[in-house]
Amino acid sequence: MAKPHRDLVRDYRQDLRLFGSPPARAGLVAMVAALALLPMVVQDDFWLSVLIYVGITAVGAIGLNLLTGYCGQISLGHAFFIGAGAYVTGWVGSDLPLYLWLPTAALVGGLLGAVIGPFALRLRGHYLAIVTLGLVFIGEHLWRNWRGLTGGNSGTSVDAQVSLGPIDFNRVELAGEVYSRNQGYFWLVWVLVAIVALLVKNLVRTRPGRALQAVRDRDQAAEVIGVRAGRYKIGAFVVSSAIASVAGALFGSYQQFVSPDEWNLLLSIQYIAIVIVGGLGTVFGSILGAIFVGALPALIDRFGDAIPGVRTSVGGEGFISVFALNQAIFGVLIVLFLVFEPRGLAGIWLRIKAYFKSWPFSY
Amino acid sequence: MHRRITLAFVATLLVAGCGGAGNQGGSQGGGTAGAPPSTTGFDGTTIKLGVLSPLSGPVAVIGQPLTAGNKIWFDALNQRGGVAGKYKVELVQEDTLYKPDVTVQQYNKVKGNVVAFTQVLGTAPTLAVLPQLKTDKVLAAPASLDALWVREPNLLPVGGPYQIQVINALDHYLTEGGGSKDAKVCMMLQDDVYGEAGLQGLQYAAQKYGFTIANTQRYKTGTENFTGQIQALAGCQMVFLTATPTDAGKIWGTAAQAKFAPRWYAQSPAYAAAMAKSPITPYLQQTAIIVAEGTEWGDEKVSGMKDLVSRTTQFGPGQQPDYYLAFGYNQARAMTAVLEKAVQNGNLSRDGILNALNQLGKVSFDGLTDDYQYGPAETRNPPRSSTLFAVDPAKPFGLKTVKYNTSSDAARSFEFKKTG
Amino acid sequence: MTAFLQNCFAGLALGSTYALVALGFVVIFKSTGVINFAQGGLLALGAYLGYTFSNNLLLSFAVAILLACGAAALVGAGFERLVLRRMVGQPPFAVIMITIGLLFVLEPLITAIWGFDNHQVRNPWNINTVEVSGLVFGVKDLWTIGLTAAVVVGFFVFFRYSSLGLAMRVTAFDPEAALAQGISAKKVYAVSWAIAAALAALAGVAMAAGPGGLSPSIGFIALAAFPAMIVGGMDSPAGAVLGGVVIGLAEALTRGYQDQLFSWAGDNVSVIVPYLLMIVILLIRPYGLLGTKDVRRV
Repeated sequence: MAKPHRDLVRDYRQDLRLFGSPPARAGLVAMVAALALLPMVVQDDFWLSVLIYVGITAVGAIGLNLLTGYCGQISLGHAFFIGAGAYVTGWVGSDLPLYLWLPTAALVGGLLGAVIGPFALRLRGHYLAIVTLGLVFIGEHLWRNWRGLTGGNSGTSVDAQVSLGPIDFNRVELAGEVYSRNQGYFWLVWVLVAIVALLVKNLVRTRPGRALQAVRDRDQAAEVIGVRAGRYKIGAFVVSSAIASVAGALFGSYQQFVSPDEWNLLLSIQYIAIVIVGGLGTVFGSILGAIFVGALPALIDRFGDAIPGVRTSVGGEGFISVFALNQAIFGVLIVLFLVFEPRGLAGIWLRIKAYFKSWPFSY
Repeated sequence: MHRRITLAFVATLLVAGCGGAGNQGGSQGGGTAGAPPSTTGFDGTTIKLGVLSPLSGPVAVIGQPLTAGNKIWFDALNQRGGVAGKYKVELVQEDTLYKPDVTVQQYNKVKGNVVAFTQVLGTAPTLAVLPQLKTDKVLAAPASLDALWVREPNLLPVGGPYQIQVINALDHYLTEGGGSKDAKVCMMLQDDVYGEAGLQGLQYAAQKYGFTIANTQRYKTGTENFTGQIQALAGCQMVFLTATPTDAGKIWGTAAQAKFAPRWYAQSPAYAAAMAKSPITPYLQQTAIIVAEGTEWGDEKVSGMKDLVSRTTQFGPGQQPDYYLAFGYNQARAMTAVLEKAVQNGNLSRDGILNALNQLGKVSFDGLTDDYQYGPAETRNPPRSSTLFAVDPAKPFGLKTVKYNTSSDAARSFEFKKTG
Repeated sequence: MTAFLQNCFAGLALGSTYALVALGFVVIFKSTGVINFAQGGLLALGAYLGYTFSNNLLLSFAVAILLACGAAALVGAGFERLVLRRMVGQPPFAVIMITIGLLFVLEPLITAIWGFDNHQVRNPWNINTVEVSGLVFGVKDLWTIGLTAAVVVGFFVFFRYSSLGLAMRVTAFDPEAALAQGISAKKVYAVSWAIAAALAALAGVAMAAGPGGLSPSIGFIALAAFPAMIVGGMDSPAGAVLGGVVIGLAEALTRGYQDQLFSWAGDNVSVIVPYLLMIVILLIRPYGLLGTKDVRRV
């Protein structure tokens, strides 16, 4: 008997599979291999540290996407939870091992989310966005004044243990080779990206995930069919805050020093940008968005000297500094991009996929 | 399926078993006297130094002149032949936006190409790279006058810390400035780490001289209206201000409007040349004293200033007179002293540089700031003197010297502790 | 008592600036349903244009203000015409993000042209004051309050009596019905952006005329104006003005009595008062003081 086509979905369970088709599975293997190999090929500390920050941002962005993309609640308060995670790590990270401080950070972030969520989520749409914006400023006030925890304006050093059993991520020894801190952190961070991505992906394909999307699409209709909209919104807020805290914990432990100047509105806006540029409601899109937003400036920075009119040093030629150019390009790209593809990077990805799915009969 | 993925994963790990980078680092080189062998950032002829500075963004107004100061010193040095007369210096500048995370990235970008960092601007960015400086054994010169830096072996500070400036200002106020212990001394500070340093100095002075700080007002940078703070300060006879120019302009403007005229003492970063040609100039001439280091711009009597002015004309045409420029220039001079020592030892490797700093004695800045006693971090002694200026629109930078290089007992007794 | 009144005056002056910015937010939100994050960028652009007209072209200050507002209005309308018109019907998040993109473009553009240094704008207000029975009023603050009041009056006249104003109200109320009546939605959108940008420019020049001068961070004030917009209600111009004044007064008074009443809450608590007030008001009235509650249907 002839086998059905690989893309044919015959029952519900097939439809729900995380990685349904053989190409998707092959892609997964390729991705895992790429992540495992990358730090060995790219030994350059600059690119490794850029990619580590990208990975940390990707974790946070996946969390925000759960709230904004899947549940339709726009939050500008992400920076607050990221800061909270970093400070928790600064506080407990030196006493607890990695497998305890990371969950502690998540727990604290989740608790904060559970306290704030019910109040914030009474509001909807733009009102919610601006109120969570207020959270960032109130948080900043807290970080500046709670000197015992945060060191006040002077900031605090974060001295977290990063070993897991025999592996010390500051100095990974593998088959006789010693890998640097940047290489070790690359693996740590990107393994966590994979774990968080899987968790969220798993969450959204099950009942709660479908409920979230129903709330996003029309919350009153969702209520009518028996979805407790309020409860799911708060749930999404809690999980999203917990994930943000994990991102903050990684940020703090990698940078080893954090100060209250870092958890500002710009950080929140950057996360929103990532989620929208990547594509709302896609986990893969968040990762793509983080790479785009984090690596593009680094790319322009690295090759700034080759661009005419750019001033790479004080007193040098040119009229615009690398960063200024960078920001302008970033702004122009966002505008162009959303004008032509409002669904974000993931939208482009889907288009390419759709093209090849029906290849050679694409039209 | 699962097994296949696992197998593939293990296979990739096996293939890739040759990519460790953990043993790289700056321990190469290390010969004895003679020509230093080439090492990270030194190819035998040119010494490369890193600069991590905000070259754009709000703090670029500080980062740009500071970096220009670095460059003017090294350009002049290169023209004379370079370090030890033969090794030219090249700067590798990176923009940090004054953000700790960007600073860490940029540090990683250039650390493999440079011998040391001749500028890292900002307290938070410096603290963010400090752990890596220690593991990588790299030397960096922080461009902020924090007391924290004095006892850090991987840092090369210049100038008297903010705390010293405040203490000397208070000494001046209590002795010649017409103040007494019973005067109502107040403080207004920017609510960040720079403000904290000023406050620490004032608290120390209060304890040493036996006065109390009557009122402390904090404000956030970018505050639009300072009426509340100025009102709260009403009755103060002396206010010490730790601020940056945009806010300081508004603060003094509000005070002038409210006819509040205490004796203002302000830390050097609060002042900008534009203030000497603005509506608040008359008010400042009457009330304000700026505490800084060195001498007024263009003072021919101080040899360091004479050189600085002529070199600025030659290598940085179009540069406005600026404190930050002089600071960058001093930093570069201190770094040159370290490099000379390292070349003398015949070792420009990272260890060699740190070693050279430990052996370094007193470095003179020809009157641009007082001598700095370097050496091992525990025994370093930063300058204890400050210069007090009054606003005078006739001067090139709008400041004239009131008291040159004054140093109080209290400032001399201030102890610098290691960071926690 | 003098201190109290003096603080109130400071609050009123601050609140007027907030009101101008918030009014710009509301005008755009009401007609297009978008929060314009670029308002701060437009404010900075307007202020720098005013600086150029006043200092470099040596025009009189009043002319400089008018030209700055006009130029900013052109930029606003141009941006709407070139970019945002293509986004009609797209998800609101994408449109908001585009305004953030505009902000990211404006900032480096401004610093590339005018640099990072602090500039002093040539202006007749400076730090001059008027004294009335022991109270000191800054001329600049008086003008800010006066200009805001004039703009607000002009606004209500415009909306009530002009046909364009009527068209804008109708479009805001029901875009489809407006289209059916032959009202050009395109024109309405472009005009809203022009008005918002002109308001931002006015606020910007007024701010830059103070003793602090002009620096690229001037646009940050737009963030503090968000609460003003929310407190008043996002779709109510009157609410924006009310919200601005309430927030301004609250901030100035907290600041004035920080030492006596609020030292327990940490230093500098006045900075977050706008946000706290906003949260409290939203918990009581989720649509702001004067905003309309939207009726939601399944």
